[in-house]
Amino acid sequence: MGVPYIPVRGLAGTDVFKRRDDMIIAPNPFDPTEETVVAIAQTPNVAILHALKADRDGNALLRKHGEDVMVAQASNRVIVTAEEIVDKVTADDEGGQFISAINVTAVVHAPGGAHPAGVPGYYEQDAEHIREYLRAASDDATYRAYLQKYVIGKTEEEYQAMVRQGSRVETHAAGGGA
Amino acid sequence: MTSAVACNSDELLAILMSREIRDWEISACGAVSMIPAAALLLAEASHAPNAEIIILGSEQLDRNLGKDIHFLSQRGKLDLFFHSAIQFDAEGNFNLHVVGDPNAPDLRLPGGYGSGLMSYTAKRILFFRTEHTKRTFVPKVDFVSGAMVTPPSIKRPQEAFKIFTTMAVLSFDRAANRYGLESVHEGFTAQQVQDNTGFELGDISNVPVTPPPTDEEVGTLRTEVKERMIETGTYPQWAKTILQPA
Repeated sequence: MGVPYIPVRGLAGTDVFKRRDDMIIAPNPFDPTEETVVAIAQTPNVAILHALKADRDGNALLRKHGEDVMVAQASNRVIVTAEEIVDKVTADDEGGQFISAINVTAVVHAPGGAHPAGVPGYYEQDAEHIREYLRAASDDATYRAYLQKYVIGKTEEEYQAMVRQGSRVETHAAGGGA
Repeated sequence: MTSAVACNSDELLAILMSREIRDWEISACGAVSMIPAAALLLAEASHAPNAEIIILGSEQLDRNLGKDIHFLSQRGKLDLFFHSAIQFDAEGNFNLHVVGDPNAPDLRLPGGYGSGLMSYTAKRILFFRTEHTKRTFVPKVDFVSGAMVTPPSIKRPQEAFKIFTTMAVLSFDRAANRYGLESVHEGFTAQQVQDNTGFELGDISNVPVTPPPTDEEVGTLRTEVKERMIETGTYPQWAKTILQPA
């Protein structure tokens, strides 16, 4: 949208509001009897979004549901990672939400890149890995061990090789949620 | 006709709340809302066949609205929304974030979105809680996730809100600025409800009895609604285990 702030109906009187410095209560400039919560615009430096497919210009098909396009439009730079790189992605392509190349800075071919979440039409979410992550994240020591095992010093290829063992990531026509 | 069949507490709340859903209106519930989902489908199967119902998280009844539901509500066009909370207080605040000291909580909850936004703008909010105790109904919540009473300068399309529990229905009297007892379920007295509520409920001398579930309501819930939940991917496991055999 490109606006510096936006009025929001809600949040007044909450402890969420009290704990944040990115929202204030301000009068409606057109109606002095009304006040609303006003939130400052969020402008992330970088958004990384995972697509079903993308082309070399940066046109891409994102997951069908969710507000990925809005996130892209709010961000200064947008990196799209994609299951597939194809010749051309257009707004007529089915199965996802189109994002135009005008919103995209860079495209990366990253098959399996949503793991442990899933990509509709490509693979289901890896529920067992998500459970492993949740168990690990419950305390600092086990979380460090998780990072050592899967992340720190590991390449994408090494990560994918590890999580694909026991065919955890499976191609599935019906797909799961990303 | 009054039902002789004993409902479990989830069935009871689904039936009582279904009566609040009006035909031709738009009513919705959020994620992890099994009881509201059953209430919405029961209303649709009985007195509100033309109601627009939205069950977020259901495979087939979610409607894939994304941000549309948010903006519908912000515009004041969502007639009814369901919400739960871990604590409610005397001033109309509720807590769905943390129990204990917010900086070192004993328990963390999902909090967030519905509390601070949907509960401000839907015209009617039905809160529900299967536990009616003094740890749920407290003088002051540990954390304000949503404030149902705000200064008049904060304009909101909200009309009314109520809390349904396994003992009673509490509705907020805006003129008196406090909760009162709308009705007490069969098997409980108004005094018992007051004894289990951590704030004053006002005059409890003449509180009506909640009309109990009828045979028809219980029957529809356990047949038509149960089948529809299973076939539409609307908490099918919950429907199979919690909604009893007809």
